[in-house]
Amino acid sequence: MTIELRNISKHFGALKANDSISLAIPPGCIQGILGENGAGKSTLMKIFSGFLRPDSGEIVFDGKPLTIHSPDDAIRLGIGMLHQDPLDFPPFRVIDDFILGSPGGLVPDRRKALADFNSLSARFGFSLSPEARVASLTVGERQQLEILRLLWLGAKVLILDEPTTGISQTQKEKLFATLKALADQGMTVFFVSHKLEDVEALCSRAAVLRQGVLVGSMEKPFDMAALVRMMFGKEVELAAKSSMAPGKKVLTVKTGSVGSIRLRIKDVNLQVRAGEVIGIAGMEGSGQDLFLRACGGLVEPAGGQFCLDESETPMNGKTYHEYMRQGVAYLPAARLEKGLVPGLSLAEHFTLSVKPKGVFIDKKAAAALSEERIAAFNIKGWPDSPVESLSGGNQQRALLSLLPEKAALILVEHPTRGLDIESTIYIWGKLKERCAAGTAILFMSSDLDEILRYSDKVLVFFAGRVTPLIASESLNVQKLGELIGGVGWDAFQGNSNA
Amino acid sequence: MPFRETAMRDDKKTRIIFGLGSVLAALALTTAIVAATGNNPLQAYGNIIQGAIGSPNVAANVLVSWVPLALATAGLLFTFTGGLWNIGIEGQITLGAIFCTWAMRSLQDTALSPGIIIAFAIAAGMLGGIFWALLAGALKTFGGVNEIFGGLGLNFVATALNLWLIFGPWKRPGVASMSGTLPFEPELWMPTVSAQSRLALIPLALAVLALVIAFILLRGSHFGLRLKAVGKNPKAAYLLGIPTWQHMLLSFALCGAFAGLAGAVQVSAVYHRLIPSISSGYGYTGLMVAMLVNFSPVFAGPVALFFAALSVGSIQLPIVLKLDSSLAGVIQGFLVLFVLIGNGLRLKLLGRKRGSI
Amino acid sequence: MKRLCILILAVLIAALALPAFAQAPKAAGSNLTIGLVMVGPYNDRGWSQANYDGMLYVLDKVPGTKLVYIDKANSADRPGTTVSQLGESLVAQGAKLICFSSDDMMDEAVKFAAAHPDIFVIMTTGDQQWKEGKAYKPMANMINIMGKMEYMKMVAGVAAAMTTKTGQIGFLGPLINDETRRLAASAYLGARYAWVNYLKKDPAQLKFRVTWIGFWFNIPGVTADPTQVADEFFNSGCDVVISGIDTTEAVAEAAKFTAQGKKVWAIPYDYSKAMDEGKGVSLGVPYFNWGPAYAKTVKEAMNGTWKAHFEWNDPDWKNINNPDTSAVGFIKGNLSKEASEGVDKFIGELAKGLNLWAGPMNLQDGTVYLKSGQKATDQQIWYLPQLLQGMTGQSVSK
Repeated sequence: MTIELRNISKHFGALKANDSISLAIPPGCIQGILGENGAGKSTLMKIFSGFLRPDSGEIVFDGKPLTIHSPDDAIRLGIGMLHQDPLDFPPFRVIDDFILGSPGGLVPDRRKALADFNSLSARFGFSLSPEARVASLTVGERQQLEILRLLWLGAKVLILDEPTTGISQTQKEKLFATLKALADQGMTVFFVSHKLEDVEALCSRAAVLRQGVLVGSMEKPFDMAALVRMMFGKEVELAAKSSMAPGKKVLTVKTGSVGSIRLRIKDVNLQVRAGEVIGIAGMEGSGQDLFLRACGGLVEPAGGQFCLDESETPMNGKTYHEYMRQGVAYLPAARLEKGLVPGLSLAEHFTLSVKPKGVFIDKKAAAALSEERIAAFNIKGWPDSPVESLSGGNQQRALLSLLPEKAALILVEHPTRGLDIESTIYIWGKLKERCAAGTAILFMSSDLDEILRYSDKVLVFFAGRVTPLIASESLNVQKLGELIGGVGWDAFQGNSNA
Repeated sequence: MPFRETAMRDDKKTRIIFGLGSVLAALALTTAIVAATGNNPLQAYGNIIQGAIGSPNVAANVLVSWVPLALATAGLLFTFTGGLWNIGIEGQITLGAIFCTWAMRSLQDTALSPGIIIAFAIAAGMLGGIFWALLAGALKTFGGVNEIFGGLGLNFVATALNLWLIFGPWKRPGVASMSGTLPFEPELWMPTVSAQSRLALIPLALAVLALVIAFILLRGSHFGLRLKAVGKNPKAAYLLGIPTWQHMLLSFALCGAFAGLAGAVQVSAVYHRLIPSISSGYGYTGLMVAMLVNFSPVFAGPVALFFAALSVGSIQLPIVLKLDSSLAGVIQGFLVLFVLIGNGLRLKLLGRKRGSI
Repeated sequence: MKRLCILILAVLIAALALPAFAQAPKAAGSNLTIGLVMVGPYNDRGWSQANYDGMLYVLDKVPGTKLVYIDKANSADRPGTTVSQLGESLVAQGAKLICFSSDDMMDEAVKFAAAHPDIFVIMTTGDQQWKEGKAYKPMANMINIMGKMEYMKMVAGVAAAMTTKTGQIGFLGPLINDETRRLAASAYLGARYAWVNYLKKDPAQLKFRVTWIGFWFNIPGVTADPTQVADEFFNSGCDVVISGIDTTEAVAEAAKFTAQGKKVWAIPYDYSKAMDEGKGVSLGVPYFNWGPAYAKTVKEAMNGTWKAHFEWNDPDWKNINNPDTSAVGFIKGNLSKEASEGVDKFIGELAKGLNLWAGPMNLQDGTVYLKSGQKATDQQIWYLPQLLQGMTGQSVSK
């Protein structure tokens, strides 16, 4: 089946989200849709899958124009969309979620559905239990469930919107293998991403959007530099690793233990020195998030000693605010949920981030502070912009700009999750500036490339076990991927890093 | 830049349009209901207006009723800013009244001058309100009890305590009466502007002061901004280094102080005794006012005045038209409902562009 | 500010003190608008309606009168208002005479009368203008009116005693005060009199139990529920319940129990037509007939003969149900022949001067209240400090 998008345009007020986009895709093809955040990728795919209607333009299958008014129309025509947040029902059982939305009348044929589910699942080597609760699945498994469901509903075209955000390396590999297998069977896959390396690894063709316009397309093999130029309209370079000599101790964890009975991480020994960047890798739910929070006093450690600076007095039981006073700062991954205050402006955030002088807010000083911070962090926004109106990258910049000026240790969850390359580079540039000034960074990420690229040392979590600090030079994506999947642990006799 | 400015002007215009639309819808529905009962709506409204501003005396009664309402609303602005639904304000008003009564009873036979006794009683009332509010706050922060449920529970306890005192330890000699405790001697009544008037200037000044304090603290102080951050996103506020639960408790305490003051005013300036329903629903009405003005300290005073005028004016309805005076409550409820619906619609329409609210 | 406060205070005190020495308001002349403030709904088939009907009688008998009224004047139904404020809103409608018709309004009526020396005030049930009373507070513009319901409560007690098979009578009381104590005691005195003198039974065998709900009518969540209290009486052996509250729950419950096959009765109160809700189960109703007294007082306000005073009006013994002359009355209901004869006989004895408020009389705790042969003064009756010996139930609120 050949798919053609002809002159698709869509406006939101003054904003041209899609400006006369035309694209033809041959069957059995994995088409990458590249572009930075806000380039118009999602709009285009939502039009394609019936969630939005174009202002003009048409969608043509094998020379036949289609009318798609709703997602229902789309799936009837064989177009299925996998959203960034899978549209599933967490309290349901897997099999019920699978059946839900099937056109099988009021009483679904559960037995047949179960058989179909099992055979589809076996075809792609998924190990989903039909009786498990959806809520208990990882993001990767939920994607698998959604793919099975869409295939079962007869999808011949599959659209995936940023599917590699929030899943582990192994899950990503499995997803890519599945998608390749589907393409081999003649299906068309649209892969929407801002991650060049994912597109490179998976797609046979790539189209690049910038500011609502299709700026170019390319077939495999890709010229990566050319793709980057198309995405940003300019050259960008990845920052290099810092070359600071590590300074004094900022965080020492001795036989640290966190977690509950269900997942207990024991005997973590760790020393973080000024200027160091330490990356924490692990599959989702391996306890690395708990550990990171324990390092900032956001969860109570279950045991061991967590000491700051050169001090021997453990901080166990102290609150985050006491850690803050000792120079620890925490950057959460969920920016709008945990990091910023929706409804408050950038200026108000800056005012909140500094120590109040007097009872009343000095409006002039606050304005000056905002101008300065907005400029220093290159935030696209005004002092009175509510933070929720900013793009993800700008929110992350805002979050960084709120960090206290003198931080000894910054703990970061997924520093660049969901961000485009330009923002990623910018964020890390700023973090590295901090390192150069002697701040240590401890971050967790599910992006193995990010860990390897920016960390001096790496800590790997797997099923309650933790490696000692490993120099990142001695690792590569393959090896790190194996470690977070539980392979190659024989080399470590527990965590004995001193 | 120009694009952005148009967007903002649009926003303001739609705000006004939606606001007016909501008010009109509320009036239309109320009118329809009055008409359906076979009464002339214009006559009903005319009576309400007449009953609220028809004479200096009734206008003074409106102010009398405005004082506790404005105080409750001013207090609620703090808790709402802190993201808290302080349903327990009714109980806080009641406790304010109880503490005030207690202070008056303890001091009335001493040699202290009436002015000092009243001052002590007012202070005691505020303490009572703070105490009850902090209980709700502590239940929330340390007990994990949602402030709505905690507040409701504490309201019941406050009512029970009040009734027990009136029918028990503080009953009139030999008589327990719903009419409340024995009235205080007239020297202990908050002085009014004239013998005929019910209006006392000191509570009026205190209520204005409360609104001014709320305005200043919420609009221009670090505390107000921090409280706002806590209210909108406690997790982020905590990570930004703001002591979250301390701010919540502080907002409870401030609200309790104003609520307690309202209760003390009811005792010392209006009823001159403790009565069973001393809070008179001012707390719940205050919740409505605060919601109606979208938690803005600027409009809280005028809207509270409007609500007070409706309540006082509607007393004419049963007398003249044999209509139930709860019509005022109906109008108030519809107003809040329609303004909330209007806000929701407006945000939904605009929110599509913004992406989030 | 301080000086202003003192000034205001001085004015206030002066203003409050002044009316005490002032003259009664000027005669209203040939037209008078009467304002009536009622504690419950004007159609409550109880106390408030009795007062309302009293004023309708006035409109009928006194030319030139007009009525404005407000009902449900209690802080639960009209939160945030004060009774004196409600009185003022009637004044705003032209009323020159305000009748505060419930004991509950006492304090506010005094406040109102003090603040409005130009308005005539009737404080029904009050004792503020009783020179010999405990609450005497002379005010030229106030008159207190009460009917001698004690007699009719005695009659109710007779009807109950003549009817009960179990020998257990329940008294559904409102709140505890002087008035309710003396009325409950009167009912008991009547019941015991019939029990001993007509039925020739041992007074120790008569059980008379009083339960107070806490107010004149049910306020959900605040008072005890009179329906439940009545049920409790019927379930625990009482077969007659005498109601002392303003509303008719006792009758409704008696009808319900009767429908279930239990033989029980009730005696409502206050309002002459209160039996309509359950004719078969009502033994009769002691009621107030406010009309004559109100009419007399209204005329006084109009023709300038108003003089502050307290009146406690007798029934017309020639015909206790005469609407023009009797302040209180008793309408017989579904009485057995024997009971009906007992009631008639008792009324006849009262008319001839039988006085049950005479010694020997002991209070509930056993202290002697009246020595043998001693007759109670009006004050001793009005301010009865406890229930009487032989009655069960709370004497004073704890």
